[in-house]
Amino acid sequence: MEQGFRASMNWLHTWAGVVLGGLLFAIFWMGTLAVFDREIDRWMAPMIRLPAAEKPFSLESLRPLYETAAAAKSPFFSVGLPTDRDAAIRVLWSDQSGQTHRFIDPNTGAVLPDPGTLAGTRFIFPFHYMLHIRAENIGYWLVGLAAMAMMALCVSGVIIHRKIFTDFFTFRPDRKPRRLVLDLHNVTGVLGWPFHFLITLSGLVIFWSTYFPSAWQLTYNGDRLAFFADAYGNVVPKGRSGESGGMASFDAMASEARRVWEGSALRYVFVRNPGDAKSIVQIGRLDEGIVSSTYDAAYFDGPTGALISYKSGTAPVMSVQRFLAGFHFIQFRHWSLRWIYFGLGLTGCVLIATGYLFWLESRRKKHAQLGLKGVRIVEGLAVGSVTGMLIATAAFFVANRLLPLGAEAFGLDRAALEVWTFYLVWLATFAHAWARPQRAWMEQCWTVAALACAAALLNWITTGDHLVRSLSYRHLWPIAGMDILLLAGSAIAAVSALRLSRPSRVARVRHA
Amino acid sequence: MPDALLLLGIFAGAYLGFAALAMSQDRHWHHLGGARHCPRRACMALRCAGWALLLASLVLALMRDGAGFGSLLWATVITVGALSVVATLSWRAHWLRPAARLLQHLG
Repeated sequence: MEQGFRASMNWLHTWAGVVLGGLLFAIFWMGTLAVFDREIDRWMAPMIRLPAAEKPFSLESLRPLYETAAAAKSPFFSVGLPTDRDAAIRVLWSDQSGQTHRFIDPNTGAVLPDPGTLAGTRFIFPFHYMLHIRAENIGYWLVGLAAMAMMALCVSGVIIHRKIFTDFFTFRPDRKPRRLVLDLHNVTGVLGWPFHFLITLSGLVIFWSTYFPSAWQLTYNGDRLAFFADAYGNVVPKGRSGESGGMASFDAMASEARRVWEGSALRYVFVRNPGDAKSIVQIGRLDEGIVSSTYDAAYFDGPTGALISYKSGTAPVMSVQRFLAGFHFIQFRHWSLRWIYFGLGLTGCVLIATGYLFWLESRRKKHAQLGLKGVRIVEGLAVGSVTGMLIATAAFFVANRLLPLGAEAFGLDRAALEVWTFYLVWLATFAHAWARPQRAWMEQCWTVAALACAAALLNWITTGDHLVRSLSYRHLWPIAGMDILLLAGSAIAAVSALRLSRPSRVARVRHA
Repeated sequence: MPDALLLLGIFAGAYLGFAALAMSQDRHWHHLGGARHCPRRACMALRCAGWALLLASLVLALMRDGAGFGSLLWATVITVGALSVVATLSWRAHWLRPAARLLQHLG
């Protein structure tokens, strides 16, 4: 029985890993980058590399933009306020032609030129949780499937591990590749287990209402807004009246919100139905000092500016969900934890990549003898999913620095061109991996090294923010961090490529 | 500054705690110049010290950041500490040799 159970878990671990490993790597990699999404925004949109505002910003200076949104009959007008990580104010509304994003300099109130990029918060972060597949929520469901598989992999991995305590600290870099990658897979898997398991679980818990819709649909008769009102404390918005209405002072509402939360800073201002007599202003609290993301918000009647209701704290049932969500979202202010998340996210990527490598190394000989094609197919998949994803990301950054502002081609705007670069390059890495199986790993490592180094150099050439400069100004530290990580990544990729190109290794792979 | 020192202390507790636990294992004990098996007394001492250091790390984390951030910081830092021990054993094992030698004489 014991043997049978372990064998079946082994089967599950192998197949879930091989089939969904590529997707899991993409999600882990993008999630790891999303830890620094705002910093990536600053790197990719040089106009928002701003010092923190010295004096408080008057929300009234946004009124012209609000009037524009109201005139365009936008259903909402959203203002993201500066935080420790992000000095610029982000304004968003929509009209028939789509969404309009604007960055505002909080020091001058000036509207900054359109950066023409989706950068970290609008490309990398959404890729992490929905893969940019909007149709029928397929993206969310694929990520959910991968997350469930990851949980199963975490559990089955512990069961099939033969010597979990004896091998607890064991990594033997001088052994044969097969043993080496298994050691690395075991060590990152076992030691990183608490983080990998919790980050996956909390990721699933965030979208519980998407993944288990029947729970609230039955209770609330399918009324999504009523459900959200109870669960998250949102005020159910009144519909449009159709009559036009004014808007009371934003600053007065903001100071009222600060007063009810005893001086707490604010995260956002969100107007529903701008320009309508029934507009509602929602102001969110910036709760950087706790792990939970509470979604505390105050609601005001737009035309009069009267406080309708406000919320602090969370009901007991949701507080567990909010804690797990907060643990996952890291919107709190804790730089040590942010870096640790980044590092542990990378160990997750190593875990997935070495899982693939072990699968390949342990089957190479046998498949060659039996004339099976499995290794070749999976190797292409693994190369494209792992190094291919790194190349596509680096190409995204390089394209960002090469395309001039306002660039257009093939009927696509600049932001779309960057995204197309990402996807086409990613696709090309799969083609390359299947076309040149013997040398794919090595050549793609060289490509990562070259592109990452080029991205850091191009940042210097196009913005003048080289490392000496970016390290000497506090507001440019995110740029310095990004450049240092790009250069470090480039070096690691180059060393890996050199190791892979040692004659013994190439010969061994070729014979197989 | 005390914040940075406490952070260092939390990491040091996790690193040294796991280093002691690793040393108490036969494979690493032998690798670090000891006999085939870690002697009973040295093994017990190392395990007690290891767990005590991990606990001390948790206490420091809770002191520094409170229950929420403290427990989160500790739960993640111990992974970083354990992986650092793995790296030390793989590439810089001689850092741990003096400690192992000292314990051999005591044991």
